Amino acid sequence: MASIGIISYIERDSYFHKVNPLTKLLILLCVIFMSFAINNFIFILLLLVLIIPIAIKSKVLSMTFNPIFKLYFMFALLFIIQGLFHPYATEKLIDLPFGFILWKDGLLYATYIASRIFVMMVFGYWFVLTTHPGDLVSSLARIGLPHSIGYIILTTLQIIPRIGGQMKTIIDAQRSRGLETEGSLIQRVKSFMPLLGPLFMGSVQQAVEKSMALEARAFSAIGKKTSYRKTEINFADKIIMAGAVIFSITWWWLSWTL
Amino acid sequence: MDIITFKNFSWKYSGYRGWTLHDINLSIAKGEFIGIIGKIGSGRTTFCSSMLGLIPHFYPGIMEGEIIIDGVNVEKSSISKLSSIVGLAFQSPSNQLTGAGTTIEEELAFGLQNLGVPYEEMHKRVSEMLKIIGLEKFRKRSPFELSGGQQQKVAIASVLIMNPKILVLDEPTSQLDPLGTEQVFDLVKKLSKKGITIIMSTNNIDYLSKFADRIILFDNEVVKVDTPKKILTDIELLKKHSLTHSVITDVSMKLKKYGLYHKDLIIDFDELKNVIKGMIK
Repeated sequence: MASIGIISYIERDSYFHKVNPLTKLLILLCVIFMSFAINNFIFILLLLVLIIPIAIKSKVLSMTFNPIFKLYFMFALLFIIQGLFHPYATEKLIDLPFGFILWKDGLLYATYIASRIFVMMVFGYWFVLTTHPGDLVSSLARIGLPHSIGYIILTTLQIIPRIGGQMKTIIDAQRSRGLETEGSLIQRVKSFMPLLGPLFMGSVQQAVEKSMALEARAFSAIGKKTSYRKTEINFADKIIMAGAVIFSITWWWLSWTL
Repeated sequence: MDIITFKNFSWKYSGYRGWTLHDINLSIAKGEFIGIIGKIGSGRTTFCSSMLGLIPHFYPGIMEGEIIIDGVNVEKSSISKLSSIVGLAFQSPSNQLTGAGTTIEEELAFGLQNLGVPYEEMHKRVSEMLKIIGLEKFRKRSPFELSGGQQQKVAIASVLIMNPKILVLDEPTSQLDPLGTEQVFDLVKKLSKKGITIIMSTNNIDYLSKFADRIILFDNEVVKVDTPKKILTDIELLKKHSLTHSVITDVSMKLKKYGLYHKDLIIDFDELKNVIKGMIK
């Protein structure tokens, strides 16, 4: 699954890999809540102090931080745009050539946004890296996630690399018939168009066959479904959950009072 | 005892003029191994799909007559109910993997989850099935990483694990290499010995001649139902329906042509071997 180029679950023998997905999901939701509710970026960035030991204990430290550093361009753009063109900017930092002004409040606003995104993404990555999609769906099903939605979540991750493989086959087939697929950007866009027809038709055909396969496996059977994966909320999970909620409320309160 | 009965069954897909299957009357006994042959477009897939109820419940069209599977009227039942009686595996190995699990064992367990089989029993059945298909070592692998033959085995196993009484295989080896084909046929042979009723559509007549109890020749209707020997040595009949006879039959035909052999045409390799041995002696 790692080969598909999107971040996905990494098998490790760690404590946090065994923690119930709902517990980890609650931690993530608490982080999202804090990121938005706290109006002090130092308090937001301090949350990173928390994720480092958690990621080390989960044996996924580098993988938790690495992807976000690849987004440096997005962060740089955020600071440039907000620093130069913040609509409600009043406090000037420096004058730049060509009449541009670097605004202090623009940079501060960018820092807020960047710290929120950074913290949420890091915790999000940690969640994805340590949570098996099967466990997540299984535990969500226990709290009422519809069976069909669970299937969609699980199967999407596996379909993406297959569509990539099919695209390669179609491109190869079209190349062998003389279609130019390399060259300038316009040339590549042009060659992308004839790819869509067979890819779309192939996907529809596959969807029909897949739905038959699902029916053959009693997908639409009425009644209680069971799970191959055991996901139970134990005492430790409850403690972590309670701790996460108490911490986030306290942290939020502190950020407003200090 | 008959486990499958077709009574005056006809089916027309909506948007098509003619009947894909017309006036089918058939009875298949419990434990039989039935081979289905016929040219492309002869209605074999439609026939296979009808036993699980994909026809008439999944595809739109007009149905006449009735199909009774293990005492259940297909038209009045549902696919999910029928899936505990009939297991259907079809051509494309990868398209019938549901993708509901990230590993082979989860793929196998998918049907059991849907039927609400308890956790312990599910694990037991998955382990047993992995042993039967000989993929225990790969249980934690993604099914999409397997070869075509192995994927087809997983696909067959994932319907088989639901303990169906009937296993319907629609061209399960058409996209496989010779090794994959042999793996699938070996598995089917094992299952047949266990007493599961098997309906297998394939034009791989060499294998069918070895295992099938009876063969049904389709051409939008049932042309002939008989023993493999009678159907597969009827060269004119096969030719008329765009089918070819096996190499073994061909050799026995040549022997007959040159006056070296005078009995019925042969479909079995061992029989041919003995004939040639006798000639050499």
